[in-house]
Amino acid sequence: MEVFLFSMFNGVLYGMLLFMLASGLTLIFSLMGVLNFAHASFFMLGAYFAYQISKYVGFWPALVFAPLLVGVVGAAVERYGLRPVHRFGHVAELLFTFGLAFVMEEVIQMIWGKVPVPYDVPAALNFAAFTWRGLDYSAYRLFMLVVSVGIFVALFLFIAKTRVGLMIQAALSHPQMVQSLGHDVPTIFMWTFGFGCALAGIAGVIGGNVLGTEPAMAITLGPIVFVVIVIGGLGSLWGALIAALFIGIMDNMAISYDIALFPIFAMFGVEREAEGIMRDLVDLTTGGIAPVLPYLLLVLMLIFRPRGLFGTRDV
Amino acid sequence: MSTTAIELRSVHKNFGATEIIRGVDLAIEQAKIHAIIGPNGAGKSTLFNLMTGLHPLTAGSIHLKGREISSQAPYDIARAGLARSFQVTNIFANMSVFENIRCGMMWDRGYKYSFWRFAGRQRDLTENCEAILQQTGLTSRRNVPAGLLSYSDQRALEIAITLASGADVILLDEPTAGMSRSETTQAVDLIRAVSDNKTLVIVEHDMGVVFDLADTISVLVYGEIIASGAPEEIRGDPKVREAYLGAEVD
Amino acid sequence: MAGILQRWGVWIAAAAVILVMPVFVTSGFYITMLNQMGVLIIFALAYNMLLGQGGMLSFGHAVYFGLAGYTVAHYLNGIGEETLPYLPVSLIPIMGGAVGLFFGVLIGFVSTRRAGTTFAMISLGFAEMVTALTLVVVTFFNGEEGIQTDRWVGPEPLGITFGSDVQVYYLIGAWCLIATAAMYALTRTPFGRMCNAVRDNPERVQFIGYSTHRIRWLAFSLSSFFAGLAGALHAVNVEHVGFETVGLAQSGLVLFMVWIGGAGIFMGPILGAILITLLNSNLSDFTDAWYLYLGLLFMTVVMFARNGLAGLIVMHEPIWKIKIGLFQKMIVPYALGIGSTLLAVAGAIGIIELAYFMSTRTTAETITHLYWVEIDAAGPVPWIASAAALAAGFAACTRTYPIMAASYNGAIAEVKALVAS
Ligand SMILES: Nc1ncnc2c1ncn2[C@@H]1O[C@H](COP(=O)(O)OP(=O)(O)OP(=O)(O)O)[C@@H](O)[C@H]1O
Ligand SMILES: [Mg+2]
Repeated sequence: MEVFLFSMFNGVLYGMLLFMLASGLTLIFSLMGVLNFAHASFFMLGAYFAYQISKYVGFWPALVFAPLLVGVVGAAVERYGLRPVHRFGHVAELLFTFGLAFVMEEVIQMIWGKVPVPYDVPAALNFAAFTWRGLDYSAYRLFMLVVSVGIFVALFLFIAKTRVGLMIQAALSHPQMVQSLGHDVPTIFMWTFGFGCALAGIAGVIGGNVLGTEPAMAITLGPIVFVVIVIGGLGSLWGALIAALFIGIMDNMAISYDIALFPIFAMFGVEREAEGIMRDLVDLTTGGIAPVLPYLLLVLMLIFRPRGLFGTRDV
Repeated sequence: MSTTAIELRSVHKNFGATEIIRGVDLAIEQAKIHAIIGPNGAGKSTLFNLMTGLHPLTAGSIHLKGREISSQAPYDIARAGLARSFQVTNIFANMSVFENIRCGMMWDRGYKYSFWRFAGRQRDLTENCEAILQQTGLTSRRNVPAGLLSYSDQRALEIAITLASGADVILLDEPTAGMSRSETTQAVDLIRAVSDNKTLVIVEHDMGVVFDLADTISVLVYGEIIASGAPEEIRGDPKVREAYLGAEVD
Repeated sequence: MAGILQRWGVWIAAAAVILVMPVFVTSGFYITMLNQMGVLIIFALAYNMLLGQGGMLSFGHAVYFGLAGYTVAHYLNGIGEETLPYLPVSLIPIMGGAVGLFFGVLIGFVSTRRAGTTFAMISLGFAEMVTALTLVVVTFFNGEEGIQTDRWVGPEPLGITFGSDVQVYYLIGAWCLIATAAMYALTRTPFGRMCNAVRDNPERVQFIGYSTHRIRWLAFSLSSFFAGLAGALHAVNVEHVGFETVGLAQSGLVLFMVWIGGAGIFMGPILGAILITLLNSNLSDFTDAWYLYLGLLFMTVVMFARNGLAGLIVMHEPIWKIKIGLFQKMIVPYALGIGSTLLAVAGAIGIIELAYFMSTRTTAETITHLYWVEIDAAGPVPWIASAAALAAGFAACTRTYPIMAASYNGAIAEVKALVAS
């Protein structure tokens, strides 16, 4: 029971982080048709900015300013990089963001070095909020949960209640309409891109000190975020939420329960004393295949239901 | 005796909740030129899209030379001998005019997916291509990338690709749209020249062209055929006059 | 005779260059580099069958390269231990190709139904899946260690043992020539033409009798064959296959090569593979920032040179074919444009090198070399000088590029006039 609750809690937490990344990514994709390969790099940038700012003025200002900075960087990237590439088509845009992800990783190494930086949980929250059956629940993790749920609620209110939000909503379901909305489309694109990056930036600020702030953090998380938006269905924020939670919980459950998969393979005639390649199957556990599962889901989803669980249109 | 080349039986098509084609029955005779006319948005192009397999039918069936093709993929229908041109020019912009045409004829001449012989060495392909270039007046533009052609040359290429397949049932969607008077005359001559032993279905807004070429005319209004018959009958049909033709015929 | 030369001249020249290269290049370092180059040329051309010819952007083509490499490594070990039947090492690449083809046929079937973003995502999914599997299926992949192998196995026909790098060089050179010729030939077949047609306009293709899925699937499978062939040569060449050969980084590298070289032109990937391998071998020891430069070069090409470096060369083809003398008038404008570009690049390199030096140094020492000049990286002078060069170069570019473009357009206009008359 403890294990279940514990991995549930961590799964939800990881899922909410993924959602913060995925919501920005799906927003950008739905509106602009650009699959931003560098999205997780903005998440990483958020963590590094937060580290740098909190070094001088502490965590709380960093929580506000780091995402804002990331948003500005994102908007600038859209304005001066992506917009000129737009006329070459979606493949060129995808290539641009792929190159960007690569370059951002290198630039971060150039500025902050190749080893992880000591971006720590703020001292004010670095205690056990409560202890239950011998397990500590860190206050910072609770704080992360509160922030991410807060962002989630704010995002939904923003989209449901504001004029811009309604426009985005219209664009999500009818992307071809964006052009005919009569607004200044390039400017909307720029700020959408910036806004999406800022969301990723927040995730970086609150997640960087738990997951570790290092140059490889983008490349490890980035593909998972793709999995989330594809499974959830492009253009669907609810889909993104559910898929993010599902992936987060699945990952944590698979690792903490670590069930042996041998009984399944045994049904197909694999023997316990098997040699060679079968040997790997004998020792396989859910924890071992946990890293494979999201991609298996991604591939299956793209093959059999390219619009995802809640999507209204294909990738 | 005349036989039916293509037959539509109570064909329906909905896009979402709107019914665009509302029960069309149509029999097109072999080796005839059949024109479909109707106001903008009547569903003429949609009808072509249904016949060529681009969209699935909502209800009804379509038969090509007696064989049902309603649920087949576009390429299967094309292989069965039904070729089409598009209202909005739909060519291979980065390839030369010659190669556009050659691509159009490869399947029919049996080259299919073959990757063990050179396309350029096949004399029959090259000669046939040259013939079609000649026919469509594109010989001088042979090696120009299709994307750089003038609009009327692109329209000609659109038809050339369609003809290249050697199909005996050909659907032309507004072949003269946007052409000048003299270009239209040329196009009409071309269509007449290729129509020997072939079934042609033409969607056309230019009534001069329609009444000049067609053996039979069907009038499509709001997804329904309101009249079908020889040009004189259509000209005299009061329903047609009321719904569509108006002063144009007089 | 002249006809033969015209038709086969390029191939004869290529064969001659491959043949005599070791006479001039004797250092082991450069032979190793050439071997790597040959492998990557094949891989890049295979990749371009997808991207350039078929319009499919893959983030996971290294899967077929790497899986073939692993299989071949195991097979060579099997020959060595005499548990598997002997196969001449010079024919091992065919086996690699077969492995690539096998997985290409399998995975290609499910991933080529659509092109565009869906295809790109599926390829990424498979790439990540196989990467994750390297840690799970340990017997085959052996985790992060990878598989060690030995190419000096079995009988030694004509004394060929592939013990020396030069012998491997000739093996790779021969296969490189064969594979290049085969892939070039493919572009000229009905299949090759339809590949381009599917890339340009998949909708129309269906109405001329072709299934877009079939064409893409076939392109994918053939491309995987050549990727596998390259992977096998890689395994023979370095005698080790690690998990990085199937990963996103390897796929990204080949994508960089192809796009920088020019995906729209057959020679492009060859040019890209040669250039990137040259830079990689010579710069990666020299500067930590090599990958940053590579990334920036790639982004620059994406933004400004759609057809890559080969495209920049080919766009001058009409001039040298029709009237080479026209280049005379272009020398000064081009020198100005290239000069200001170099100034800006030099400034940017200065800043990047200084920043890298400061962030990665392990001692308090701040004296270093920049452009063979001893400087103090902690002081403002080198930074200001670099920034000034960058700014001045950039400003100069905005002035000189229009001049360069005007001289090009003028020459092309003259060529057109010549052709017309
Ligand atoms: N793929 C589609 N999805 C939704 N609606 C469609 C689609 N294709 C056509 N329509 C609608 O069907 C109706 C008929 O269109 P269609 O193009 O067939 O008309 P048409 O008779 O060819 O007109 P025109 O003379 O302008 O070419 C139009 O209202 C159009 O908006
Ligand atoms: Mg129409």
